[in-house]
Amino acid sequence: MSIQAQVPSSIGTALSFENLSVVFDTEFSQVHAVKGLSLEVYPGEVVALVGESGSGKSVTSTAAMGLLPNNANISGKAFVGGINVVGLPEAKMRKMRATDIAMVFQEPMTALNPVLTIERQLTESLELHGLAYGKEATARAIELLELVGIPDPAKRIKQYPHQFSGGQRQRIVIAMAISCDPKVIIADEPTTALDVTVQAEILDLLRELKDKLNTGILLITHNMGVVADLADRVAVMFRGSLVETGTVDQVLNHPQHPYTQKLLSSVPRLEAVDVSGNWVPEPLAAVDPNRKLILEAKNLVLEYDMRGTKFRAVDDVSFDIARGEILGIVGESGSGKSTIAKAVLGLLPVASGKLAVQGSDLTKLRPKAARAIRAKMGVIFQDPAASLNPRFPIGDCITEPMVVHKVGNRAERIKRAKELLEAVHLPTSVINRYPHELSGGQRQRVCIARALTLDPELLIADEPTSALDVSVQAAVLEMIQELQERYEFACLFVSHDLAVIDLLAHSVVVMKNGKSIEQGRVSDVLHAPQEDYTRKLLAAAPVPEPGEQAIRREARRLLLAAEKGL
Amino acid sequence: MLKFILKRLGASLGILLAASFLLYILVINAGDPLGDLRESVSDNREHLMAQRTEYMNLDQPWYGRYWTWLTGVSKCFALQCDLGTNIQGQNVADLLSVAASSTLRLVVLATVLAAIFGIAIGVLTAVRQYSGLDYGVTFLTFLFFSLPVFWAAVMLKEYLAIGYNDWIKEPGFSTPQIIVIAMVFGFLMQVFLAGSVKRRLITFAVSAAFVGVAIPYLVWLNFFRYPQLGLVGIIVLSLAIALSGTAMTVGVRNKQVLYPALITVALGIIMYYATFSLLQAPNTWLLIGGGILAVGIPGAIGYFMGGRLRKVAMWVSAFTGFALAALTVLDHIYRAWPGFLKLKPRPIGTIGSQTPDFVGGFWDVFLDRGAQLLLPTILLAVISLASYSRYTRTSMLEVGQQDYIRTARSKGLSERTVIFRHAFRNALIPIATIAAFDFAGLIGGAVITENVFGWKGMGEMFATGLTHVDPAPVMAFFLVTGSAAVLFNMLADIFYALLDPRIRV
Amino acid sequence: MSGHQDNEELKGSSNMETEIGPDGQPLVSLAEVEDAELAQKDSQSMSQGQLIRRRFLNHKPAIISSIVLVVITLTAFTSIGFAGIPGWWNQSYLKSAELINGGAPTLHLWPTWLGGQGFAIGDHPFGQDNTGKDYFALVMRGTQKSIIIAVVVGAVATVIGAVIGAVAGYFRGWVDEVLMRLTDLFIVIPLLVLAAVLGKMAGSASGSILTLAFALGLLTWTGLARLVRGEILTLREREYVAAAQAMGSKTSRVIFKHLLPNTVGVIVVNATFAIAGAILLETSLSYLGFGVKAPESSLGLLISQYQNAFTNRPWLFWWPGMMIVTIALSVNFLGDGLRDAFDPRQTRKAKRRNKKELS
Repeated sequence: MSIQAQVPSSIGTALSFENLSVVFDTEFSQVHAVKGLSLEVYPGEVVALVGESGSGKSVTSTAAMGLLPNNANISGKAFVGGINVVGLPEAKMRKMRATDIAMVFQEPMTALNPVLTIERQLTESLELHGLAYGKEATARAIELLELVGIPDPAKRIKQYPHQFSGGQRQRIVIAMAISCDPKVIIADEPTTALDVTVQAEILDLLRELKDKLNTGILLITHNMGVVADLADRVAVMFRGSLVETGTVDQVLNHPQHPYTQKLLSSVPRLEAVDVSGNWVPEPLAAVDPNRKLILEAKNLVLEYDMRGTKFRAVDDVSFDIARGEILGIVGESGSGKSTIAKAVLGLLPVASGKLAVQGSDLTKLRPKAARAIRAKMGVIFQDPAASLNPRFPIGDCITEPMVVHKVGNRAERIKRAKELLEAVHLPTSVINRYPHELSGGQRQRVCIARALTLDPELLIADEPTSALDVSVQAAVLEMIQELQERYEFACLFVSHDLAVIDLLAHSVVVMKNGKSIEQGRVSDVLHAPQEDYTRKLLAAAPVPEPGEQAIRREARRLLLAAEKGL
Repeated sequence: MLKFILKRLGASLGILLAASFLLYILVINAGDPLGDLRESVSDNREHLMAQRTEYMNLDQPWYGRYWTWLTGVSKCFALQCDLGTNIQGQNVADLLSVAASSTLRLVVLATVLAAIFGIAIGVLTAVRQYSGLDYGVTFLTFLFFSLPVFWAAVMLKEYLAIGYNDWIKEPGFSTPQIIVIAMVFGFLMQVFLAGSVKRRLITFAVSAAFVGVAIPYLVWLNFFRYPQLGLVGIIVLSLAIALSGTAMTVGVRNKQVLYPALITVALGIIMYYATFSLLQAPNTWLLIGGGILAVGIPGAIGYFMGGRLRKVAMWVSAFTGFALAALTVLDHIYRAWPGFLKLKPRPIGTIGSQTPDFVGGFWDVFLDRGAQLLLPTILLAVISLASYSRYTRTSMLEVGQQDYIRTARSKGLSERTVIFRHAFRNALIPIATIAAFDFAGLIGGAVITENVFGWKGMGEMFATGLTHVDPAPVMAFFLVTGSAAVLFNMLADIFYALLDPRIRV
Repeated sequence: MSGHQDNEELKGSSNMETEIGPDGQPLVSLAEVEDAELAQKDSQSMSQGQLIRRRFLNHKPAIISSIVLVVITLTAFTSIGFAGIPGWWNQSYLKSAELINGGAPTLHLWPTWLGGQGFAIGDHPFGQDNTGKDYFALVMRGTQKSIIIAVVVGAVATVIGAVIGAVAGYFRGWVDEVLMRLTDLFIVIPLLVLAAVLGKMAGSASGSILTLAFALGLLTWTGLARLVRGEILTLREREYVAAAQAMGSKTSRVIFKHLLPNTVGVIVVNATFAIAGAILLETSLSYLGFGVKAPESSLGLLISQYQNAFTNRPWLFWWPGMMIVTIALSVNFLGDGLRDAFDPRQTRKAKRRNKKELS
């Protein structure tokens, strides 16, 4: 950089904020997103900026890039390599992007331009900032791809983004970010959209690069496991302000602020996998003769019809759930775990095998009987923003099952809705409000209430907490557990998060590519896995304790090395 | 890719066949073709009815007539079209060959112009969302959406054509007129160039003053009857293009781009003299060939001199070459203009696609056709331009919110690069689909336009045919417009696939 | 920060400062803060409909257009009367009379101090036609008929388009195939051509404007059907639809309670555009002679009847044309306002106030 500003307080930092505030003008009001934040990131250091949604962590980083929308009013200072970028003219800011400050985004699927080749997208910043041109730039781009671990980079550089997997795309985005040797990289939830095993790989890559390039990394994340794995220092944000900063050990192991304490206690933790090999399984309890089977799947096969060609999403899976039990289905994306939930809900026909609810086979029921059996099931989906009809007031949402199955009159329905709202700890006044007035966690609680309206025998929960913040997730999980103990329904709980399954479920099915890899009691499968795949999954999931995570990381390295050796 | 195109083509042919059947049935049921004769009291009534029955195969049942028509059409593959005879016994295939060329010329020209300008305006308004320009253009597009074509056509005829023809006899401006024009021009320029209030005021003052001086000067030169560009004009304009092209891409200090552009200008001036006598009486092929050379040679110069900025140098030089060629042609048109005015004192035509019995040189005929085409083209293009600009604006704004645009910005790319390299190509993808629908709409518009401007085109063929419940000309109209629509649709599909690698690879 | 998350972030920390809980303890969990905010919220609950109304009322061109439309409609229907009810205008569109001043309009708006004749309506504000009939009455009658045709076309096209689009989008499969092929048909046969043929058929069959309107409605639904289909295809992947299906709702309930109400934006907006399109289509057809025929009347027919009068009596051409443009323009702006109200994504416009104070 040619421009040199003399600002003593920011000397030596790669990135620093001084009393940064951001206020957004929105359609009907103003929102104070960041309230006087100060923070430093030094070269070669990873600082994690942690917080839940609405904490202002992404706004902070976007402000440093100078990419906030026009309705943002920024005050305070943000120094990138000694230059205050708040209020910096756009032309000067442009010259600093990529060379001084670069960014890795959350969504690798949409962060790359679909109509340009990877070569074009990688070389353009090199050429723009005058680092390399033409063939030289291409050669440099191939080097970068090699560095981030894309196999056969010379050939693949001519391809388009859609020809790469999600993890590979994130590697390409990282290659793009490091292409001009920036002083600091902002990684905004870089692994949130990825599966755990891919997440672990990307984290390894970031750690490697940080050591190699001596850049500072500002890691924006809500995942405490990721923090423990990668960060040197941690800053916790809550509603626009910093509540706590310190080294990763200080903050994660000895949190001072009540918010941090509460946040950390909300994170579900996986108990350590037994690596000693001396695991003694709990003795099998005698099969309860009164065990009342609610859901039973035998050799279940499910297929999607993709324009005539059948795609087998679930292949020969068997399991059962009895009253009062919770069965977890766990797996990475594309494993077919949600497909099973869909089939149980009758949203997908069964290709072959048996799928029975309370003994009646869903595939053989007449439409009317099939509808009647739906009254015995409740469902909670993943996305709280999409699972309530935006045109229905909350009361109507909750009582809809009663309307569909013609249960009760109007007064009874309202009474039931109020009961349920109390059960999920929401004020009964919510009954006349609309879904958009509620937060994600509150909406998810309304979904739980709706699922319980008709006192179901079976609850299907398809990733019910994966779109929620940690503390909200904890509240929702606690609620499901509590209600399950009270009403003793059977529950099919689908999740990608092993820790959540560990916390909640009695038994588990681990799935991969439509097949069941391993299944049994949670205490057996998750603590003494027999299959390599389960072990790898367990090893990849980071835990929010730096010391333990370091050990796990090493164990995972050994596991992978052993596999390669084979 | 080939499979994709063939599949689309097959589907389109199927639709064409189904549509022809539907249209045929509807047309023959739209009335009684013998109606006027039945009420006739003339002596040879029976004879006339028998004759018409023979021309139109009315003795056959409806499916028989359709089958006859279809077999006749299928002979087109052997280049011997039999499209039947119309109500008066004329061979429709012969009528069609005359009608088709003028209509397609009109529609294709209007589509291309509308697409180019519409997309450009759409991008500009999307970039300047909520500016005065955006609001102004939005209002205009809504106005154009709301104009009945024929009503606007009569307005154009009355005010633009007749007004201009009266004015060109003794061109001149009164002082208030000059002031108003200068003010309006200054206002438009500041809206267009935008910027801070100070910059806008300067733009306004400078451009208004320029126009205020330029108009009296042009009147003094009698420019409007004896226009001239001259060597000086060509040199100044082409240098301006070469320099601004370089400045807009990499900056004038960059010799790798500037020099090829300047060499192109020098070569172009030489070619202007070398081709001077040749271009006084050229033919179409000569012009096309010259145009290709005028783009190709500078492109090659850019390629060899551009070094590491090869691509940019090629674009800038080729564009400069193209502009020079256009200026050369314009110069020759200017030279032909006084002679043309003598041949045709009221230049802008309001009736017909060409002046009957018009005799003149290449440029005179060119000007005549152009002047006849002017009004209908403006009309059709303007109405369709409105929808293109609207769609482009929406599409650009939609793309502007995508993550990869933010990625592009975070690399430090300039707003221009972000818009043209990253946003524009993605925004074009949905527009390619809309183009097909729009083409069909334009053909519909052409039916009315031809009616208003008295063109003996296919629209007229359709309207008369339908009035007399005469399927042969209606179906001939459909055959041409339908095939053109299918062709355009396919071009749009290919374009679509070229733009979107997700379909291609 | 994707657009979606952006929204969430902004919503998450609203302006209410509720750091202290009801028991006086500081709140330290997002879940608690959200619940406290919800309990505290005493503002009037706003349904989607109310939000949309509020946005619409902020859209000035749309409001002006609505007023213009109401005025035109009221004037057209009350001035010369409708369906046997007499109106307040004292001239008839049937009665020929003596030409006064060559039939020139007596409406004057140009003030005297600018050299005009001051404000005056006169006997024949829009002038007289060549047989001396009052042109205001004639134009009002044409406007009535054109409005009726446009509304019927809009209604027929909207109902058919919405239902077919919803069915195709929901069931996909062959219904969808047929619909898509049908809309492809309109690429090959221009709408105007098909409309002309149907208009001619309707004209020779009965000659009533309602028949013509229904015929046109049967042609113009495909655009809306495509849009609704697209919308339903996205909506049916929403989880509330899956939830409704999973709880055993009947298909009709899912379509009419959950899907169609949520496409109401697309439907309403395109119904207005369909009406604007129908006005222009009718005028074009009438002009070509395949639409409304005398003794019925419409704005297009008026222009067509008097087009040769342009050089001598330009007002016979101007008034109906201006009327068409005004109606179509107002309806288009109305539709634009509705679109912005229903889909505020592209109109997020915030003033840059306090900018200087803060920095």
